[in-house]
Amino acid sequence: MAKDRKQTDTYAGPLKRLLLGVLIICLLGLFLLWRIDSPRVERFRAAVIDRVVPNLDWAMAPVTGTVNLLRDFQSYQRIYKQNQELRRELQQMQSWKEAALQLEQENARLLDLNNVRLDSRLTYVTGVVSADSGSPFRQSVLLNVGARDGIVDGWAAMDGLGLVGRISGVGENSARVILLTDTSSRIPVTVQPSGQRALILGDNTVAPPIDFLEDAGKVRPGDRVITSGDGGVFPAGLLVGRVAADPGGRLRLRLAADYERLEFLRVLRDHASPGIDTPGDLIVPQGGPPRGPQTRLAPLNSPEPAQTDEAADG
Amino acid sequence: MADASRLHLLAMRTLFAALCLFVIFWRILPLSTVPRGWAGPDLIAALSFAWVLRRPEYAPALLIAAVVLLADLMFQRPPGLWAALVVLGCEALKSRAPGLRDRAFGAEWLAVAMVVAAIIVGYRLTLAVLVVPQAPLGLSLMQMAMTVLCYPLVVMASAFIFGVRKAKPGESVAGSRRFGT
Repeated sequence: MAKDRKQTDTYAGPLKRLLLGVLIICLLGLFLLWRIDSPRVERFRAAVIDRVVPNLDWAMAPVTGTVNLLRDFQSYQRIYKQNQELRRELQQMQSWKEAALQLEQENARLLDLNNVRLDSRLTYVTGVVSADSGSPFRQSVLLNVGARDGIVDGWAAMDGLGLVGRISGVGENSARVILLTDTSSRIPVTVQPSGQRALILGDNTVAPPIDFLEDAGKVRPGDRVITSGDGGVFPAGLLVGRVAADPGGRLRLRLAADYERLEFLRVLRDHASPGIDTPGDLIVPQGGPPRGPQTRLAPLNSPEPAQTDEAADG
Repeated sequence: MADASRLHLLAMRTLFAALCLFVIFWRILPLSTVPRGWAGPDLIAALSFAWVLRRPEYAPALLIAAVVLLADLMFQRPPGLWAALVVLGCEALKSRAPGLRDRAFGAEWLAVAMVVAAIIVGYRLTLAVLVVPQAPLGLSLMQMAMTVLCYPLVVMASAFIFGVRKAKPGESVAGSRRFGT
């Protein structure tokens, strides 16, 4: 038997090993290509996902529904208590609603007096969350709207309450939203009412830390955090969440969006964001490019440098 | 006879692909979008190792590479690296399979644990060298531990549900010969 195996090995072995080597080199090559030219491979990834996930939709929706149903079923025992609580809250809300209506009317009157025009360009496309990243290392969700619906990389995604993330990776029928909790997420924000600028750094936890504050002393837990619009990443003024302090004293963000249940997301159309579709060019000063290096190097061999040195000293 | 065994081989390969696709499918269900503080096992890698050690012909390297590459793309991992490492790990285990054949399961488990540790360390080192942003180390370690801990379960499920057991003497040679020619 051993001899038999050896014989087949002598024929099949080297060929198999060669093919295996080619396979592994192909895979590593793809990885290196991704490292070198990430956008192209990411587009390929978006295309693959776009091909695969919508086809699975018929299966994913019922399975997700069933699991959620089972989870809800577990919570039925608490439902009576919850009902009582909700009634109490509803009573409180009624009074708040009255207040809100009055404020809204007042606000409308004031806006009318000021002749303020609200930004009509901020419209949105609503998409359904069809898949998540499937890995504990990345935080993202896949929406069922894509380039077909006019989605563009970089637009902001919100649920009804607050900012959820930004679009990164658009397929024909799907778009990926990188959540604020992902480790690669960096969002410029303003903390109200002090007006401090800061960055929200996603770190794979539910409450991402707030960093690069100018003066942390002016920020208190409970302050509202909204997008600042710096760098043209997002339109300004979208609600992100509230400040909270963790036991270590570090300021963190309690997200306004309901991350427990992301089902429908609004993608805000933002026509101001510049499209990045070419590699960057050299930034040339006004009045044309400077003279070439030859002309600048040439005087080095002549006595001129001494003169320029003197001029510099004087 | 030869046709029947060829069909069986094809069926088992399809089963392997289907199991891996099911794992991917289950993972991308949008059940929880809150960042979890824990990482589950890499079931695809565990399944590949278990099947490669038992019936290497059911899980050929090309199939493993294709499935793991698809997982790379779906899970937002750097594409290709993890796939290459899993294929390499499978080959390393395959070369040690004859030595592990007659020994207790503990020896196999240890070998698999070493391979899992090696490919995770290799993965993180490669990403670190190429300055790719990485997830916290704790999650990777947890994934490593979970994969190793889940390995006996995967082996048991493969053996009792799908009938993937170590080939008895004689059977494997006949099978490989038939497949080889």
